[in-house]
Amino acid sequence: MKKSLVHVKDFNLTLGDKNIIHDLSFDVMPGEIFAFLGSNGSGKTSTIRALLGIYQPTSGTLWVNGQPLTPKTAANVGYLPEERGLYVRSKVLDTMMYFGELKGMTRDAARQFSMDYLERVELADKANLKIKKLSGGQQQKIQLGVAIMGNPELLILDEPTKGLDPVNRKLLLDIVGELKERGAAVIYITHLMEEVERLADRLLILKDGTARAYGTVAAVKKEFNSNSIEDIFVKIYKEKSSEVAHV
Amino acid sequence: MSKLKTVIRHEYLTIVKQPSFWLTMILIPVLIGLIIALNYFSSTSASERIEELAKDLKKVAIVDQSGLVNREVVTASGLTLSAADQAEALQQSVRNGEQDALIVYPADLAKERDYKIYLNGNDITKFSSVSSLGNSILQTSLFLPLGSAEIIALAQEGPSTTLITYENGVQTAGINEYIAPGLFVVLFYMIFAFSVGYMLTSVSEEKENRSMEMVLTYVEPKTLILGKLLAVSLVTLTQIVFFGLLTGAGYLIMREMGGSISLPMGIDITQIVFNPVTLFFAAAYLVVGFLMYAGFMTATAAAAPSTKEANGFSSVFFIGAFVPFYFISMIVTDPTNPVIQFLSYFPLTSPVTSLIRNTVGNIGSIEAWLILAAMSVGMVLSIWIAVKAFKLGALEYSQTLNLAKLFRR
Repeated sequence: MKKSLVHVKDFNLTLGDKNIIHDLSFDVMPGEIFAFLGSNGSGKTSTIRALLGIYQPTSGTLWVNGQPLTPKTAANVGYLPEERGLYVRSKVLDTMMYFGELKGMTRDAARQFSMDYLERVELADKANLKIKKLSGGQQQKIQLGVAIMGNPELLILDEPTKGLDPVNRKLLLDIVGELKERGAAVIYITHLMEEVERLADRLLILKDGTARAYGTVAAVKKEFNSNSIEDIFVKIYKEKSSEVAHV
Repeated sequence: MSKLKTVIRHEYLTIVKQPSFWLTMILIPVLIGLIIALNYFSSTSASERIEELAKDLKKVAIVDQSGLVNREVVTASGLTLSAADQAEALQQSVRNGEQDALIVYPADLAKERDYKIYLNGNDITKFSSVSSLGNSILQTSLFLPLGSAEIIALAQEGPSTTLITYENGVQTAGINEYIAPGLFVVLFYMIFAFSVGYMLTSVSEEKENRSMEMVLTYVEPKTLILGKLLAVSLVTLTQIVFFGLLTGAGYLIMREMGGSISLPMGIDITQIVFNPVTLFFAAAYLVVGFLMYAGFMTATAAAAPSTKEANGFSSVFFIGAFVPFYFISMIVTDPTNPVIQFLSYFPLTSPVTSLIRNTVGNIGSIEAWLILAAMSVGMVLSIWIAVKAFKLGALEYSQTLNLAKLFRR
């Protein structure tokens, strides 16, 4: 049996007076795409921030590779947050290299990776342009490039295809697929259930900070007696919190 | 350490690679030069215009009821002194436009120190020339009994002074002692005008453009803030070097062109005193003061949801830095005054007040250390608030960080 790369156990988070997460537990295996689902305000982003060490958990365990994640140990993690942006006044290559170096890459390695990636996404000619000169879609490609720098073993993508045209969406999903093939674990946050059906190996649906569904896509479908993840999602969110047992 | 270096390099290059950075640095001395030149030319041309007008002022009547005005002085200026009882009739002729102006020195001039000018029209330049004529006639009349033109000029314009100072029986450098520490006051404002603002922009833009969350995944907040602080310090150093080189180049060009460079108040470059103790405190107040303000700016930027709002909040700190200038004469002459003592120890006013006091030498050694200690506490506090506000507010994109929240958690 494979050892989990991400291990979250009995995680609780209180921010100010609000209890954001209640007793959340899940694992993410290497080489799988794990769909982390929930409506806005359900606690997904807070969980990710706690996993990354940006928020301190009130209680519980959040481990990546057997230890809590800190900036010192985050080199093998790629993160594309929902609230994302880049240094608009900096050049494309400078920005990518900066993040590469923050991840522990040498300047040369960061430069090489950046140029290879820019070639692949057909932005090599924009390497020395300021980011503000790029279109929204082009900026999003750069953000993905920053997230996958150094071929991370854990990639966290928060609504990565939001605002992308079909061509770039396919390109992004191809890249994610390649990382999975190489053995990386991908935590994939999205509101697009067809992406979940197409990509995810396992999923977790979060509502009000509590896991309502968790397991392989097939197992969840079986448990809820439905062939559609979207239907399951809608069903969970239509039910009153008290009617559904915690997973 | 390598992440810190990466942050410093990134922050430094982000600022100095902006064309606006260099444009501002070049434009500021150019603008200062332009303002000085415009001021010089406008005052020269204004005084020339007044002189020209004075020459043309033939239809000006003068009435002396005080007995202080000398008839010969009036005649020498090409005018005539009218009888005291004609004042009303002359006033009417000014009103009608028959006369340009009427100057009336009243009987109680010595007591009230006020005389009247009646002018036809609203021409402010004409008023200035008549007024200057009136003053000139009165002053020359008053000084005439003194005798020679040189003595009158001395009485009217006053002498210049050469200051020779002694301390413990030894001649000191006088004003030249103030120059080196005084430069730190100028430096502080330079840093304040440029670099402290960069700190605000650096944090608030990172927050506004939503790159903060990605950065914080790989860098500790403390490292990020320290990196930004050090980068901004390097930017400041770059500016100082740039302005130093510019001044040096200007000096050499002037010398090559054979122009004479005279500094005001008898300052002699060769006589400038570099007192190590005074310079130590000047440097310490500058550095600690800068870090304290940078800390407050970081906290402000982290707490505010946007650059615009952060700029609004930061005005409080700008006021703090300029308040001591309203009390400058008291700071120089009455340092033990409770107001000055408060300004010396209050974090936001302490850097400028202490730098001025250190310059003029009215700060004892124990007090100098006490102020430095108090300022250091302010600096530590501001950086602590900055780190805390940064941790709590860096990812708050839509609302201002609540102060109570800052101290509760």
